[in-house]
Amino acid sequence: MITGGGPIPEVPARFVLRRGLARTHPRRKAVPRHAARKHHFKAKVPLVEIFQNILNALQFGSFYALIALGYTLVYGVLRLINFAHGDIFMVGAYLAYFVAVTLLGIGGLNLGLHMDPGLALAITVPVTMILTALVGVTLERTAYRPLRRKGADRLYVVITALMAGLVLENGNLALLGASRKRFPDMIDKVIWNLHGVTVTNLKVIVIVASILVFLLLQFIVTKTKIGMAMRGISYDKFAIPLMGIPLDTIIVVTFVLGSAMAGLAGILFAMSYPILEPYMGALIGWKAFIAAVVGGIGDIRGAIVGGFLLGFIEIGVVAVFPSTLRDLFAFSVLLIILWLRPTGIFGVAQTTKI
Amino acid sequence: MNTLLEVKNLKVRYGNIEALHGISFDVKEGEIVTLIGANGAGKSTTLMSICRLPPPEAPRVTEGDILYKGQSLLNMPPHKVVSDLDMALVPEGRRIFGNLTVEENLKLATYARTDGHEAIHRDYERVYQLFPRLAERKKQRSESLSGGEQQMLALGRAIMTKCGFLMLDEPSMGLAPLLMYDMFRTLRELNQSGLTILLIEQNANLALRFAHRGYVLDTGEIVAHGTSEELLADPEVKKAYLGG
Repeated sequence: MITGGGPIPEVPARFVLRRGLARTHPRRKAVPRHAARKHHFKAKVPLVEIFQNILNALQFGSFYALIALGYTLVYGVLRLINFAHGDIFMVGAYLAYFVAVTLLGIGGLNLGLHMDPGLALAITVPVTMILTALVGVTLERTAYRPLRRKGADRLYVVITALMAGLVLENGNLALLGASRKRFPDMIDKVIWNLHGVTVTNLKVIVIVASILVFLLLQFIVTKTKIGMAMRGISYDKFAIPLMGIPLDTIIVVTFVLGSAMAGLAGILFAMSYPILEPYMGALIGWKAFIAAVVGGIGDIRGAIVGGFLLGFIEIGVVAVFPSTLRDLFAFSVLLIILWLRPTGIFGVAQTTKI
Repeated sequence: MNTLLEVKNLKVRYGNIEALHGISFDVKEGEIVTLIGANGAGKSTTLMSICRLPPPEAPRVTEGDILYKGQSLLNMPPHKVVSDLDMALVPEGRRIFGNLTVEENLKLATYARTDGHEAIHRDYERVYQLFPRLAERKKQRSESLSGGEQQMLALGRAIMTKCGFLMLDEPSMGLAPLLMYDMFRTLRELNQSGLTILLIEQNANLALRFAHRGYVLDTGEIVAHGTSEELLADPEVKKAYLGG
């Protein structure tokens, strides 16, 4: 399991964690739970645990943030809550699975390939992002665009999105059956131990990827003409063609960006938690959507802040209370935030336009 | 003079209601032509038909043709009218992107231009020279501009799309008289440097004083046309649109 990162120094028992990665830690078995807990309470400042929890929160927050970005991009442009987005994330994870097993030669299409896992991963990431983007664009073309053309009320478009999500879930169920898929190991897990805080290379990759994606999208939206057009559409769809800008192209770009990020989240999630099932996108999708709203939907910074905030609240609750209370507490906190700031953290009140 | 825009026997419907009952008019290169008429006469419908706005806003053309430089616009997607032809519309109510800065609004208008940085840069300078107020407020969110400044921005934006034929829908609406005269002075300057203008106005007096020629639209039909002098002197037009 541990294949790199050098020898791991001995950790005093009191620093061994109660939850998170410690579960898979080889030394974990040697320290019974009650013993660890006793020592834990002796420590005056469980600084190591705090850092460990921050790291875990960042990892969880990264998934929420990556998915929230897709919700916020589409909402920002079309004022449409794309409820199928969580399931696009699920589709992304499955596409990553099929691409990966095909390349590794352990399933999928029998192309006779037996790639090195590192190379396979390098190909899986872009291919999955492209394929997931195609799924998102197909959804836009077949479900949302016809309604838009006919000037359908927003309610019908949202219901269409909900149904599209259910179609994706159940389509997957019909196609692949109820059995779960196990995502193959693509990278050698490296565990670093920084004064008792366990850091895996995968965690670092997830967190860095989400931050890079945020910076990239922020650049696109604020600095490029496509990004300006995306913001312009949200303000006045009618005036966009008057600038010589093809409305549909900008909408397609939006779906490409949002879905590609969901695809990336799908790969990273599958690598972190390698069991795939058709409903994996439902709850995480809802949570990411709520994160986007709390951050201020329509604003990319809001998606990132909301995603990480939800990660921190969830991990923070579990660090203090039994984990069954996690969602209750987490969403109560988010409710209070919305109660104080109904437009979300970065949101501005939308003036209704004619 | 070459005919730039030619509208031939145009019939247009909104659902079951026919809004234009076969109107014909033309605009020649270098002219200022105005369409005047009361509320609901079909002035905006005419412009919307020319600009091929996307459904569901767009009215449906059932008969007739719209030609620009001899080319029919009827099967053209709306953005192509702006990006491939040198037409531009300053819509009613200006419709600037209020959430973007002044600078971004102008930059967005260059989206489809392919004529290089230098030409675009020259147009920026032209816009800022025509409207120094916009240069002062470059970094400001455009919804914070005053009505007059927003109208300047809407006009500047049209210039930035590289237009040779400009359509204006009620540019005087909501402007103080002084600003209104300023706006028309600027438009005349632009016309003298080669811009062809089709103006739609409720304020017939103002429009006819500004334009070379005019058409009078009444409930979907053209009831009079001629040079501005002729129309201003026409007793019928005088009575109906010029307040006696």
